[in-house]
Formats: sequence, C-alpha cells, structure tokens
Amino acid sequence: MARTVPSGDSGHRFPDFDALDQARAWDPVTSAVVFDRLALQPDLRFFGPAEEAVASALFDLLLAQEGPPEQPRVPVLQMVDSRLAEGQTDGWHYQDMPEDGEAWRRSLHALDQDARERHGTCFAELTADRQRALVQRVQDLSGERWHDLPADRVWSLWTRYACTAFYAHPWAWNEIGFPGPAYPRGYLRLGVGVRERWEHPDRAPEAP
Amino acid sequence: MIGKYLRLTAGSQQAIRDRNASAWLLPEDDRRFDHGLLERMRRYRDEDEVDIAIVGCGAGGAVLAQRLAHAGWSVVCLEAGPFWDPDTHWVSDEGGSHHLYWTEPRVISGSDPVPLGSNNSGRGVGGSTVHFAGYAPRFHPSDFRTRSLDGVGADWPLDYRELRPYFERIEEELPVAGQFWPWGDPHPYPHAPHPVGGNGEVFLRGAAALGIPARVGPVAITNGRFGNRPHCVYRGFCLQGCKVNAKASTLITHVPDALAHGAEIRTEAMVTAVETDPEGRRATGVRYLRNGREHRQRARMVAVAGYAIETPRLLLNSANRRFPQGLCNDHDLVGRYVMVQGAPQTSGRFAEEVRAYKAPPPEVTTEEFYETDPARPYRRGFAVQNVAPLPITWAEHIAAQGHWGHDLRRYLQDYVHWATLGALCELLPQADNRVTLAAERDRYGLPVAEFSYSQCDNDRAVIKAARTVMEDILCAAGATEVLTIGRYAHLVGGCRMGADPQSGVVDADLRSFAIPNLLVTDGSVLPTQGSANPALTIMALVDRAAQRLISRTGRSWSVA
Ligand SMILES: Cc1cc2nc3c(=O)[nH]c(=O)nc-3n(C[C@H](O)[C@H](O)[C@H](O)COP(=O)(O)OP(=O)(O)OC[C@H]3O[C@@H](n4cnc5c(N)ncnc54)[C@H](O)[C@@H]3O)c2cc1C
Ligand code: SF4
Repeated sequence: MARTVPSGDSGHRFPDFDALDQARAWDPVTSAVVFDRLALQPDLRFFGPAEEAVASALFDLLLAQEGPPEQPRVPVLQMVDSRLAEGQTDGWHYQDMPEDGEAWRRSLHALDQDARERHGTCFAELTADRQRALVQRVQDLSGERWHDLPADRVWSLWTRYACTAFYAHPWAWNEIGFPGPAYPRGYLRLGVGVRERWEHPDRAPEAP
Repeated sequence: MIGKYLRLTAGSQQAIRDRNASAWLLPEDDRRFDHGLLERMRRYRDEDEVDIAIVGCGAGGAVLAQRLAHAGWSVVCLEAGPFWDPDTHWVSDEGGSHHLYWTEPRVISGSDPVPLGSNNSGRGVGGSTVHFAGYAPRFHPSDFRTRSLDGVGADWPLDYRELRPYFERIEEELPVAGQFWPWGDPHPYPHAPHPVGGNGEVFLRGAAALGIPARVGPVAITNGRFGNRPHCVYRGFCLQGCKVNAKASTLITHVPDALAHGAEIRTEAMVTAVETDPEGRRATGVRYLRNGREHRQRARMVAVAGYAIETPRLLLNSANRRFPQGLCNDHDLVGRYVMVQGAPQTSGRFAEEVRAYKAPPPEVTTEEFYETDPARPYRRGFAVQNVAPLPITWAEHIAAQGHWGHDLRRYLQDYVHWATLGALCELLPQADNRVTLAAERDRYGLPVAEFSYSQCDNDRAVIKAARTVMEDILCAAGATEVLTIGRYAHLVGGCRMGADPQSGVVDADLRSFAIPNLLVTDGSVLPTQGSANPALTIMALVDRAAQRLISRTGRSWSVA
C-alpha cells in the first residue's frame, strides 16, 4: 500500500507520515469506511464514456493529480461517480441550476463543446495547458452565464465534489499531516505547537 | 450569584441524577446505546388515540416527548430518519458522515440563496443536535425586544425573564461547560470550561492583544464523566456525531428518559400531513408514510417539530377546505420570516503549528459585539466563535477563495498552520425570506420546499463589520495571512410566535392561534435570531411550553 501521496508536487512536508500507521487505534466501523477508499472502486455507473473522458481530465486539473498515467491516483472520478449513481447529493439545488447529476452531465458536455469550438477536438485530447485555459475561463466568467448555466455555480459544483472526494482519502491526509480518525483514542496534547507522538512535525514549513 | 455556585457544587447527586436520568440510562459498558430500551419501548397502534403525536425527534421534539411522557401522557413521536446507534452508524470521519444530514430535495433561490443539506439540518433521532457543534449560549434579554429597543426585527410575545428558569434547567440537562458568562444576563455554567486546543488558544491570544473580552465555552459537552457519559476525548469530530457520548444530543440527553417513561419513537416515519376534523377546528392526528405504506396516527393533540424548512412545508402541504393556503395560514405567515445567521469565516496563517482539528471545534467566544452600538452604521450585531474546519471543509474554504490545482494543494498542505474564526451575524427577519412549495416533487410525491433568501443593507453591514473584527483578532495573534469566506449558519423562523394571530402563527406557549390543539415546537417559532446558536433557546422555549401545557391539564412537572 502506498504510504505517501503518489501524485502532484507533494509529500515533502510530512515525508514519513502515514495516517494508516495508526489504523489499529481506530474503531472498526470507521476503519471499514476509510479502508473502502483504498480498495478497488466500483465500475463507473453514472458517467458515460464521453463524460468520463472529460471528467477524468477535469478532476486531474482541479486537484493537480498530474503525474504520469502509470502512477496511482486518488480515485476521484470513481468516488464522484459513486456519489452521483447513488444519488448521494446534498439534496438542494439552486433554482437556476438543474439537480446535481444533471448539472454534472450538462457542464461536462459544455466543456467538451468549448474544446471542439476552439480547438476542433474533444477536451480530453487537448494539452494540459489548453485544458487549463478552458477551465480557467469558466472560473473567470463568475457572475455570467456559460452554456446557459450560471458559471459560478458550475464552478462551485465542480470544486465541491472534487474536494470532498480527494480530501476524504488517506493519501491526501498524509500530505497535509492530518491523522484522520481519532476514536476511541482521541488527543491529549492540545495547544499551539504541541503534538502527539504520532503527529509528525511539518518538515518544510512554507507559507503558500 | 454565590448562592448559585454553591448550589451547583454542593447540590445533591440524587437531584442531578433525577434531572438527568437519561445519562444514567445509557449503558455502563463500552456500548453507547442500550438496545434494551428500544426493545422494551411501548408501541401504540394507529387506531389508538394517543394524547399527543409529535412530528420530528430533534432538539424541540425530543424535549417535548420527554416532558410529556414524564407527566404521564401517551406520546408517539414520528421521526423521518433512523434511530441512531453511535457505535455502528457513526464514524470518526468527515467524508463518511453524509447520512447524518437531511438531504431530501429542496430548491434554493433569492439574491443570496442559502445552501442547505449538511450546513443546516439533520435527520434521525436527535435531529440536528446529532451533528451540531454543541455551542450553547443563551439569547440576550435584548433579543426579545429588538423592535422596541432598536426599531428592527420583532418583539417576542414573552420576556427573557420568563425563559430564564428554562435556560438554567436545560443548561444543567445537557450539561453546559464554560467560564462565567459576562454578556447578556451574566450567569455561571454547571460544568467547568474545557481545555482549549490550538485554535482556541490563538483566538484568546488575539483577543487579549486587542483588549476584546473572550471566554471559553459555552459548550454542551460534559467535563468529566457524567452518569454513563464518558469524558470528551478531544478528537474534534463533534460535527460528525459524537461517538463518545460526551457531546449532548437529544438522542442521549432526553430520548432515553422519554422511552423509559413510555413514549414511543416511531422512526422511518415521514409525516405527510396534519389532519383535522372537517371544519378544521381541531387536529385529529397525522398521516405518514412508513415502509412504503400510508398510515394515520390518531391523536388528541399534534405538535410539529420538523425545523424551519420542513415544519412550514408540512403545514403548507396539509392545506384543506378550511385552510386552502395551508394549515394555520389565515394571515399568510406560515413559511415567512425564515432566518439564517451570516457566518463568515476567517482563517489566519501562523508560523507555529495550530492543528485546529484537535479539541471540539467550539471552544472560545466573544459576545462583545452582540448588541446595537449607536456608533456603528447598523443595528444589532454579531458574535465571534472559533470553528475548526476538518480537511474537506477547509478545502472548500480554500476553493471558495478561487484556488484550484497546484495552488489548492499547496494551501491544503499548510493545513496545520491555520486557525479559523467564525462569526454569527444577526440578519434581520424579512417577510420575503420564505419557504414556499415548489413545482418539483420528492420521492413520496410531495411538493418540495423552495427557500428564497435575500440580504438587506443592514445584513451586509453587519457581516462586513464581523469580518473586520475577525481579521483584526487573527492579525493581533500573529497571523501572516488572512482569508475570509462568506457563509451562513443555523436556520430559524418560518412559523414565528407572536402576540396575536396577525403577528404570529403560534403564541408564546407555542400553540397555533388557528387550531388550539396544534403546536409548533421547534426552531421555526423564533421571531428573531440574535447572534447566539439557537438550540438552547429552542429547547428552553419547548420546555416552557411543555410545562404550561402540563399545568393547564393538571399534571405536574415543575421547574427545579
Ligand atoms: C453543522 C451544524 C452545526 C450546528 N451547531 C450548532 C451549535 O453549535 N449550537 C446550536 O445551538 N445549534 C447548532 N446548530 C443548529 C441546531 O442543531 C438546530 O438549530 C436545532 O437542532 C433545531 O432544532 P429543531 O428541533 O428545530 O429541529 P431538528 O433538531 O433539526 O429536528 C427536526 C427533526 O424533524 C424530523 N422531521 C422533519 N420533517 C419531518 C416529517 N415530515 N416527518 C417526520 N420527521 C420529520 C427531522 O428528521 C429531524 O430529526 C447546528 C446545525 C448544524 C447543521
Ligand atoms: S471532541 Fe469531544 S465532544 Fe466532540 S466529538 Fe470528540 S469526544 Fe465528542
């Protein structure tokens, strides 16, 4: 099992830290939920192939999971697909947006359409720089409409789902120094600059 | 005041045990819930005409059920969600706690729409108190008279003093831990304050540097073992449901005692309508869906406690010939004046490691800016508390600043260096901030709620001022960078109480003006929201209503 985050420019701040080292101190119900994220993810059920191609590239960009293809990734695409397939949304939607599943489909198609209009090929075929420029454009349109959807709400939909999946994963905890579950043991050493034995110091503190 | 302290420290153990029977009804061993209580639970038939049917088993519903069961009433509480077992249903994990929230479809609109779901409402036994942060401040005396004092909001049909004994009693039942409280009506708390983590320490340091008084607490988390509730282990997952049973939720503070006194809590029962006699003069029971089948529970009295969105929705969905615009809606008040607090959050970057994920997220508060200050360009004010976002929430915080890709990852890797403060800004009640029925329908075929929300100028000014104060506190504590995002917290209103039928759906005893045996016993009755977290006030209002109901019917349960 990988011990540090396998992708992106990471792993230098908490180099030997692995939240899973403490897994034996977790309660079994929590352990099961966390270890599920490390297991083989279910096959895609929600996204069709065209959507899969756009979504996969989009998640890699949003979360800077840009290593070579053979490197393992936090399976953000699969995690989001499961949520949408199971209707595990937050329930609410903006009056001027469709419900989340439909909003995902429409916004992914829109991104592909932008790629075709500007570069004559689908989004997944573009270089990372071109992809990034198209994604950046959606963020920059904040307050305006994009393919008949409010651009800022699309942006918030994308980032919410992406962050929720990525930062639920123990590999992501490792790179940020977060120990994850803390039941039943909890913490005794509280306060600024104070650590438990199993919390590792930041080896390369550097303001972002 | 000294007498009060003495009473708190020297009071008899037996009295505490009687008052907090639920804490002793939890298992003594490592389990967190006694399934025997459920197996032995009294069960009524639909045809039985029970004394009261309560819709929803959250903050308000559970307190009412416990009080009335104690007084010998036959009680059925219908709850849409499950009966939680903290051992097997909850996890010490942020991403795995989605099932705690009310995630049925809803539509949000207006110029400043309010995202719902995980941010606002829970389901299952304990309701939103299962995943609430456990802050338990009282409302200030001024909150009850903002119209008279400040010319904004509304006056409540009761005075702070009338609620004080109930505030005190609920504080002891949760119980609440904190330092002596100097704001509003100054008062002590039954439990000593908890030690603070890094985030709270930063807050105290910054406030001290600026001369802003701040205090530790008040949180509904036992300090020390309490009955069979263990001490807090400072693991920081209060918003994911406390697997320890240290943080109060009505699942452990009132439900066990309610069951022991013969109340039935019928779970996975979604109430779809309150029924009345043909003339609409009396409530006769509720219609509900369970296991895909429709049932009717007969009852001599009905209390609706589904919270600020579902309660108005249920009344609107219960329209009949007598009430074509929705039950109790003769004066077009049902669903109006729904409020949320403006809750901007400011994070500050520190050279030291703060590790905000440790200790309960609620730790330190200042209410120094709570009241109207004539020198400031707005009415009413705000409170500042620390909040401690776990990684997913913090990532959303950073993403909301516009960061993504490498930028986002870089900020997140700096997680242990950040402390976060959150404000609760009193936004004013407005008639057009309201719940209506949308064209869209849910899985049950019922119209879903649409919640429209827009801020007024005063709201924007308060939020702006709160942001400045939080940034100042963090900078004074030594922050080298600060980031603020806009958010909302808490929901109240939608069935406000008033002095008469033209100004309220219910009276101060939470009885609806239109149907005397129909009550609303949840957060939707609040006419204003102050800058305090609402659960304690909701529970105190329901406690008072229960007491009045019982004394009217001659069965007693008195304030200790
Ligand atoms: C993340 C978060 C943190 C919070 N932190 C704090 C805090 O620190 N301090 C504080 O004071 N408050 C806090 N709150 C708010 C607090 O939890 C609520 O204000 C309070 O619980 C509301 O009480 P209630 O009785 O009105 O509704 P709830 O406690 O929400 O209970 C309503 C119940 O009714 C059920 N229900 C609804 N409709 C139906 C129906 N038709 N049929 C059957 N059942 C139904 C629901 O499932 C639910 O269980 C927080 C809330 C959230 C979301
Ligand atoms: S910090 Fe304490 S109160 Fe909060 S969830 Fe953990 S044990 Fe419970």
